[in-house]
Amino acid sequence: MGALLTDRLPGGAQPVLQARTGRAAVGGDAFDSGMWPLHREAHLGPGAPWRQDPAVMVLAPLSAEDSAHVPFVIDATALAGPVGRIVVTIDYSPFSKALTFHPGRALPFLGFGVKYETAGALRASVQAGPDQIWHVGAAYVSALGGGCSAPAVSHARPDWQRGFGEMRARLWPDSGRLRLCIRHPQDTGLADGIPAHHLTSLALHDAQGAEIARLDLHEPVEENPSFTFLLPPHLAAEPVTLHAQDTMGNRLSGRVEPST
Amino acid sequence: MTGFRSLTRRSLVAGAAAATALALPRAVAQAQPRGYDLLPQEVAAGLWMITGAPESFARSNGGAIVNIVLLASAEGAIIIDTGSTARMGAEIRAFADQRLGGVARVINTHHHPDHWFGNIAFADRPILALPATGDLCRRSAPDYAASLYALLGPWMAGTTPTPPGQRIESDELVIGGRTLRLLALSGHSAADLVVQDVQTGVLIAGDLLFLDRAPSFPDADVARWLRALDRLAGLETSGVVPGHGPFHRSGAALAQTRQYLELTRDRLDQAAALGLSPVEAMAAGPAPAFRALGANPEEYIRTVAQRWADHERTALPVIGGL
Repeated sequence: MGALLTDRLPGGAQPVLQARTGRAAVGGDAFDSGMWPLHREAHLGPGAPWRQDPAVMVLAPLSAEDSAHVPFVIDATALAGPVGRIVVTIDYSPFSKALTFHPGRALPFLGFGVKYETAGALRASVQAGPDQIWHVGAAYVSALGGGCSAPAVSHARPDWQRGFGEMRARLWPDSGRLRLCIRHPQDTGLADGIPAHHLTSLALHDAQGAEIARLDLHEPVEENPSFTFLLPPHLAAEPVTLHAQDTMGNRLSGRVEPST
Repeated sequence: MTGFRSLTRRSLVAGAAAATALALPRAVAQAQPRGYDLLPQEVAAGLWMITGAPESFARSNGGAIVNIVLLASAEGAIIIDTGSTARMGAEIRAFADQRLGGVARVINTHHHPDHWFGNIAFADRPILALPATGDLCRRSAPDYAASLYALLGPWMAGTTPTPPGQRIESDELVIGGRTLRLLALSGHSAADLVVQDVQTGVLIAGDLLFLDRAPSFPDADVARWLRALDRLAGLETSGVVPGHGPFHRSGAALAQTRQYLELTRDRLDQAAALGLSPVEAMAAGPAPAFRALGANPEEYIRTVAQRWADHERTALPVIGGL
């Protein structure tokens, strides 16, 4: 199970959800099907060399209980060689690119949640190895939809701006995990009368102020998004600062100390 | 029972399906006529129960996953919950009309759709529920209908959500000589009605109690739910109809529901405190004691999706902001 912590819960060593590969990972079609050829050209570059690779594990529930919050974990720690970018695309989303992860000095491992507009695969394209070709894994999620075009739940409350930007986080030095939640409506602009307003970037810095890792974020990331990072032991033993920006120029920041 | 179970048509269809299932495309083979053949059993004097499948909504069960109670009275049947579809409601009504002298009242225990989407078959009769339940039914009907049409397909034909129109604001009802004690609780949902039939002493618990089927948590407040179980534990009963699971005369549903809530709450707290992401908490599966329970692991995975934020909020301190 790679870097997953599933086995820390009783009985979790025999998981009930497993990452799928090949056709099963994209809903039964050929892996190179649907919107993928177009997304590949648009987001990985024209003619970019790629291959599907079981070493890129994408884990998700088989169906979306809540289309506005579909959780994923990407674990590319089994890939050989240095990892560059990880580009996350959603086959049938009105916004095909969810995010780009630059793991930098963090491990190529990311937990996050997205909005789902309709059933389809989410793909993680990992640029890795000496030749830096794209290694692609995927997870198909059955969803009823409405995740992108529904208004953020926070707009139903008159006081939605209270707590806006709040960051909650914790850093576990023993496992290297950093878990972060940010209060943000993540408006797509597709809901009537509500303009787009979403996070554009999130960066992790070490105690000396140097960048550890960075995320470029887009509209499909869920409302009040949460993220899981995996840090090597020396970085997880020190405080980490977090910096985020959104489309309206807001700058959010926080500092998380290692704790057990 | 004449006319209630369409045995002839069902056996014809079953035979036809068996003969052609291999030859027909999957979509055609699945397009069987829609009948449940619900079989009410008299589990106490004048108290009939239809036992739902211990499963989640699926095409294979047509949504017949919930327990239904029909109480005989001098004015006709008192129906407690009506199932997931118009067809389920119609079959329940047919039994009441043919065997119990018609329908006196319908009661919905709470707003989840497996308990009231059959109401359309009783639109001409008084349908009662707690005031909050009526509001929640009206508000959630479009989403529930969209979900169930997607999950159940043709089983949903003709199912127009029909929220309860009358408010229950007393703690006792007397209908056709039958006295019902009513208890307004919450925890499984914002408004959970529990009914005790005084004549037999049987408790009709709605979804505050489950047995041998994993409890569902879409609107759960576990602390409140546990307090509601304390109230139920204080009642004298001769038998229990849980929302899902078999009729029984022991404290089994109470004990199992309590243990499931506590172990699931503790598991998600532990997962959040260890730094797991929600997908990892899902992948780990239900607490080992409940792995084999009906509707698991799907129901547990849904619970993580629905309730994860409650648990993570307490595990993660505020570390910054604007």
